[in-house]
Amino acid sequence: MADRRPDEQEMSRPKKPRTGDLDPTANPYLAHMYEESDDYNTGYKSRNGYSNGSSTATSLSKFKRHQTTALQAHTAEDGPNNPLNNAPLSQQYFNILKTRRDLPVHKQRQEFLDLFQKTQILVFVGETGSGKTTQIPQFVVFDDLPHMSGKLVACTQPRRVAAMSVAQRVANEMDVKLGDEVGYSIRFEDVTSSKTILKYMTDGMLLREAMHDHDLTRYSCIILDEAHERTLSTDILMGLLKEVAVRRPDLKIVIMSATLDAQKFQRYFMDAPLLAVPGRTHPVEIFYTPEPERDYVEAALRTVLQIHATEPEGDILLFLTGEEEIEDACRKITLEADEMIREADAGPIKVYPLYGTLPPHQQQKIFEPAPPPARAGGRPGRKVIVGTNIAETSLTIDGIVYVVDPGFSKQKVYNPRIRVESLLVSPISKASAQQRAGRAGRTRPGKCFRLYTEAAFKKELIEQTYPEILRSNLANTVLELKKLGIDDLVHFDLMDPPAPETLMRALEELNYLACLDDDGNLTQLGKLASEFPLDPALAVMLISSPEFYCSNEMLSLTALLSVPQVFVRPASAKKRADEMKALFAHPDGDHLTMLNVYHAFKGPAAANDPKRWCHEHFLSLRALQSADNVRQQLKRIMEKNELELLSTDFNDKNYYTNIRRALVAGFFMQIAKKDGTGKTYKTVKDDQSVLLHPSTVLNVDSEWVVYNEFVLTTKNYVRTVTSVKPEWLLDIAPNYYDLSTFAKGDIRTALQKTVDKVNRRQAMKGGR
Amino acid sequence: MATQDPSPAGTGDEVDEDDYMNMVIAEPVAPKEKETYTQRRMRKQREAESRGRTKSKIEQAADEAAAREAALSASLFTNPATASNNKGLAMMAKMGFTPGAALGSRENKDARTEPVGINMKEDRGGIGLDSEKKRKFREEAERQGKRVKAEEGDYRERVRREREEVRLEGMVGAAMRVAERMTGEREEAEALEIGDSTLEVKKRKIPNKPLKQINILWRGLIRQREEKERDRRMRYDLHQSLSRFPTYDDADEDAEDKTALNKEPSQYVLVEDLEEEDPELDEFNALDPAVRLQKLVDYLRQEFRYCFWCKYAYSDEEMEGCPGVTEEDHD
Repeated sequence: MADRRPDEQEMSRPKKPRTGDLDPTANPYLAHMYEESDDYNTGYKSRNGYSNGSSTATSLSKFKRHQTTALQAHTAEDGPNNPLNNAPLSQQYFNILKTRRDLPVHKQRQEFLDLFQKTQILVFVGETGSGKTTQIPQFVVFDDLPHMSGKLVACTQPRRVAAMSVAQRVANEMDVKLGDEVGYSIRFEDVTSSKTILKYMTDGMLLREAMHDHDLTRYSCIILDEAHERTLSTDILMGLLKEVAVRRPDLKIVIMSATLDAQKFQRYFMDAPLLAVPGRTHPVEIFYTPEPERDYVEAALRTVLQIHATEPEGDILLFLTGEEEIEDACRKITLEADEMIREADAGPIKVYPLYGTLPPHQQQKIFEPAPPPARAGGRPGRKVIVGTNIAETSLTIDGIVYVVDPGFSKQKVYNPRIRVESLLVSPISKASAQQRAGRAGRTRPGKCFRLYTEAAFKKELIEQTYPEILRSNLANTVLELKKLGIDDLVHFDLMDPPAPETLMRALEELNYLACLDDDGNLTQLGKLASEFPLDPALAVMLISSPEFYCSNEMLSLTALLSVPQVFVRPASAKKRADEMKALFAHPDGDHLTMLNVYHAFKGPAAANDPKRWCHEHFLSLRALQSADNVRQQLKRIMEKNELELLSTDFNDKNYYTNIRRALVAGFFMQIAKKDGTGKTYKTVKDDQSVLLHPSTVLNVDSEWVVYNEFVLTTKNYVRTVTSVKPEWLLDIAPNYYDLSTFAKGDIRTALQKTVDKVNRRQAMKGGR
Repeated sequence: MATQDPSPAGTGDEVDEDDYMNMVIAEPVAPKEKETYTQRRMRKQREAESRGRTKSKIEQAADEAAAREAALSASLFTNPATASNNKGLAMMAKMGFTPGAALGSRENKDARTEPVGINMKEDRGGIGLDSEKKRKFREEAERQGKRVKAEEGDYRERVRREREEVRLEGMVGAAMRVAERMTGEREEAEALEIGDSTLEVKKRKIPNKPLKQINILWRGLIRQREEKERDRRMRYDLHQSLSRFPTYDDADEDAEDKTALNKEPSQYVLVEDLEEEDPELDEFNALDPAVRLQKLVDYLRQEFRYCFWCKYAYSDEEMEGCPGVTEEDHD
């Protein structure tokens, strides 16, 4: 570490720290050049027809495709041998089989099969707890018999964690090894083999496959699960499947949803038949507040404590909006409850946070049982889970009897008019509120406390949450659609088409990035960019990085920008965390600082005990490891597309300059210029006033900055910023920085001065 | 300069002769006052100052929000800066898009033409709080409007009543002071009789009687005075203690330090008393000033044979010579 601090002599040239006389292999900055080459077998194995691996006949061999009855399937499942591979079935299998047969979907297996066999597209509604995610794909496998035609059944999930855990569960249920007959495929991880006939995957993954296989010929049936969540990828997939269904009459499609808004799906899919299975739920009593609350967090805490003091046994689920709010609430509830225990003999209480960026082992804690009474015969203990809306649909937590719903969640918003994509705390929809209430009735009749009035519920909440496609920047989606072979983007039949201005912005952006030509056709660069599972700006930055002799570094940086924040700043040790961050700080900006962190992480200092090293330096090991993983994947894509992996010599004075220039190549549309003498900046072309995010290492003397993110809070912030030079902008993105397209103002004047300066300099050179 | 030319524009007649019938008689344009050099210099300086001034945070935030709102409310298709020569729009046009239409299948009637709006939540107010506030504000405004209408006619009446009220309050105050003084004098006299001289020393400074034991008729006066005194003392202590709260007890200081810093233990005897709720007093104060005044006058008459209006303490029970109990009687 010490050798990386610039010493006295180098202070005058801060952009070129030296490492001293280290062996190049030990140089942390060049660590990536000495990575041992791994021979990971990439991507999907070719399935050159299905080799009937186990030639032994199974109980499924006698089945006729699309003629299976519930009874036949039932018998086959009863064993004694595995219907898939004829291996003897384990005791665990039979144990699970018993519980499976208790699931609500099981009673309607025949009904499902009848409809499934009759139609091409089926809409299936099953509330949480009906067993649809695990059972329906198995029902389909037993009827569709994909192994006979050498195809697969795919079941998509909006979340990676869900795809992984459900696949594991179903592999157990079918008594096979995960990755054999049952597998999963998520971004950067593929656990399938030539034997696989049932594949759980993220919706985004299926979309990427469709880019290379427009008709999804590998699949005989596609099940879109959790369609009600309306993720961007699910929406695109539905539009695509609607077209594929016409071209491939043999393809079966099942749309599964957990809400009763299924008519919309039916209508969209040409009045497809609907099958609904009731969930296993108990009645939930709903309470509203008589008056609107002044402070929803405080009201939530009060309600939780009140429940603990007065209501009978049963766990509590409280919905809040984000990590900070949740951690804070957990602390306060614990403190207050301790006092209640001391003073009022209340039962013991255990509080667990739950949010997306929480490490998995801590997420698992929410399944621990409630604490026992403090003494024999004392008041029963209670578990309180304080979570974001991931507790709304995706996770099933038993034992919840009380739900406290303040009515807010953090939602992504995008507006093409100011080109801001940000997470904002917003009121939830009525549908969400119902989902939340439903969580209280999983094990027995429950209660839901809504921290707003009934009138507010009726008047102020929208019916359904806006689908993600209406709240996102579509640059990436447009690139994907182009790659999917969809040329008429204007009339592509989406369930909820976005605002036309959003499409205009996306097309414009891709044109500036040279991914689309003026006629809207994919360029060579665009095709290349769509190979990367990245935002177009990042992809273009990466693809053009060899021109700046820093593709290795940009690869690391891209990976770092694709994972959660690497810097940890706990509330209890803010100062110490900042000091540690300062060790890595690069005066020219946050991107370079992140790069320093990564290089140090790969260096010898961290090699022995990365966990401890990260802890000491207030870095997130998980984020860095996943950055490492992402980097490897991206590197493979680079190699596949014959993009050179280069580094500028670290001792070259242009080492960091090259990196900053390469940043501009992708992010020239995210530039802000200092406004006057104050601390504010103005974004180029959109003219929005912004401040540098307080977390930046950059001082406010930089005239021009490139930013990674525009954060909308009570103040406008730009986060992850690095200083750049206006000459680079004009040089690297002349189309975007065509001065005639700029409105009169400070920015145009400054750019004009730069142009003049450059011209003058060239004239002088020419004159010489 | 064109502005100096008084002839109206638009008389592009070929005929040079003046057509008196049609001639527009121009409003005599006030000759633009020439800016003197100094004036101009001042103006420039003012302008430069306002340009160079760093805006306060509140102004900045307001500017920021205004810029954002302006950008959010204008469609990109109607804004010439974004719509003209926009390659994205050109591509869409090629696909058959016309501004104003929606995307997607033509049968889809629900397709939106406007982006989803952005609503910034800046506090922790619960759902419905904002609209509740708005509703209350609206109702209040309506009520105010009604009241103004109703009272417009009797404006004079209202002013008169208000003046009367102020006058009465003044007299209530005066009557309370009289009652207090006379009671005090009587107690003193009684104390002298008993021979308790210690009482006298204390007397003038702090009334050692708890507030609640003071007659309701002038308790308000005492309370007010004590509150004033307390505030004054607290201000003084705060001042003396060099920005420290007077009750702050520094463990490092010994008794001498305290003396040096003038930090003798402050007396807050009254504070507790003052902070107590006094429903009886509140009730009394809620009465009409005229009623309160009458009660005081009656009390003075009964206890001290004193007429507030004559300003005279009569010696006999009958109060011979006093015209009556009301002010009017004394007119």
